[in-house]
Amino acid sequence: MTPRLTPEPAFGRAGLAAVAGLLIVWEVLGRLQLTIFIPSASTVAAAWWELLANGTLLRSASSSLLSLAKGFVPAAVLGIALGLAMGRFRTLREVLDGWINALMSAPLSALVPVLIALFGVRDTVVAATVFLFSFFVIVVNTMTGVRGTERSLVEMARSYGAGEAALFARIYLPAALPAILLGLRLGAVQAVKGMVVGEMLISLVGFGERLIYYGNTFLIPELYAVIVSVLIIALLSATLVQACERALVRWK
Amino acid sequence: MMVQPVGIAIERVSKSFGAMQALADIDVQVKAGEFLSLIGPSGCGKTTLLKCVAGLLPVDAGRIVIGSRSVSGPGGHEASLVFQDFALLPWATARENAEFGLLLRGAPAAERAAAARHALAKVGLAGSFEEAYPSQLSGGMQQRVGLARALAVNPQVLLMDEPFASIDEQTRRILQDDLLRLWSEERKTVVLVTHSMEEAIYLSDRVVVLSPRPGRVHRVLDVPLARPREKLDVRASGEFARLVDELWQILKKMQ
Repeated sequence: MTPRLTPEPAFGRAGLAAVAGLLIVWEVLGRLQLTIFIPSASTVAAAWWELLANGTLLRSASSSLLSLAKGFVPAAVLGIALGLAMGRFRTLREVLDGWINALMSAPLSALVPVLIALFGVRDTVVAATVFLFSFFVIVVNTMTGVRGTERSLVEMARSYGAGEAALFARIYLPAALPAILLGLRLGAVQAVKGMVVGEMLISLVGFGERLIYYGNTFLIPELYAVIVSVLIIALLSATLVQACERALVRWK
Repeated sequence: MMVQPVGIAIERVSKSFGAMQALADIDVQVKAGEFLSLIGPSGCGKTTLLKCVAGLLPVDAGRIVIGSRSVSGPGGHEASLVFQDFALLPWATARENAEFGLLLRGAPAAERAAAARHALAKVGLAGSFEEAYPSQLSGGMQQRVGLARALAVNPQVLLMDEPFASIDEQTRRILQDDLLRLWSEERKTVVLVTHSMEEAIYLSDRVVVLSPRPGRVHRVLDVPLARPREKLDVRASGEFARLVDELWQILKKMQ
């Protein structure tokens, strides 16, 4: 039996209860007025509503989401392609495995100045950061999925005359699909992280620019409102991929 | 639909994996329409030999001829393999699995569906089972799907690698009877790898006993039990017990 990679729904009853509990604790802590850095949940909600109403969030979101898409889509396409190839061809895996692992665990934020040097201070840098943050986890998961393919399935397909192309399309790709989708889900969350890091370090666009601005001007409820928005985007991205998983992996 | 059965000539076949010699000078002639079993202790290369016949492993020396075609690689249309672990696609339904061989050979959809239905019906999986995924089927039923996939391409030869080894005893006996019935209806040549002495005697016309390291043909045992064995209650006969014991004596001396 292959391990079950399809997750349970993110918003089960227990999950909702936990969120509600957190909000209550947050509200109480805020009302205690311990420090300006912990505004109450209701203050943050009001600030969030205000930012939504005056268009600030939508302006930031349109810039951020565009960078997110421009970075994540190539990361997904190239990551899956490289992962499939690395899973299948041992030499390629031996050459690249060390690099992939090193870059996956490297503090990628430190690389953003290099990206700025390469791309200049533009939204392209944000897309590049998104790419860097999400690419490797997609590669590694795809590769793991391909390597986990049952040998007997490959033998079976070969015994009916499958060549390399048919093996990829009919065996390796569907066998790796659950792992690929898991990689995309983890990659989507990483991508949102990359988006914020990129935007904050160049501090000119999107949510990152707002985070820096509100942080520097001590508009703490607004700062939290932006953080919450980013969290919502991360959750929505992961949920979107998860919906794809349910549609594509019905056989488990 | 019926195909003429063909024989298999395994001539002076040797095979090594690195320094380890798996098969040495194997000579076996399988007659057209014959049911032949390969048995022997682990390390005797019986599965290796079967994979060589299927073309999945190249031989180092000697040659294998199925019918009139010399085996040079996998994918030949004469023979279908049946796997110990069933090798079903978990993401495909029973019908899609049964169609898979035809799909890889480029058969049109309508022809595939018809052949798969027909094959599934032959192995006793008609109707609602067609749309079930392997995870929803018992081991015995999964191997029925594996057998249907092998039959759907209408091969002349069935190569079976311990097909019932992971199936419980009661189900195994039913599958063995069903296999005998299919074999007599379909007139295929069967080469079966097994580690069960009872299974080898019950099913086969001849049993080839291989000795290990490197695998060599040690003995060939004729099984003159009357057929159709699935109807004659052969398992309960004294002759059956005597043949199983004869096989056991051969294998015991090898340990």
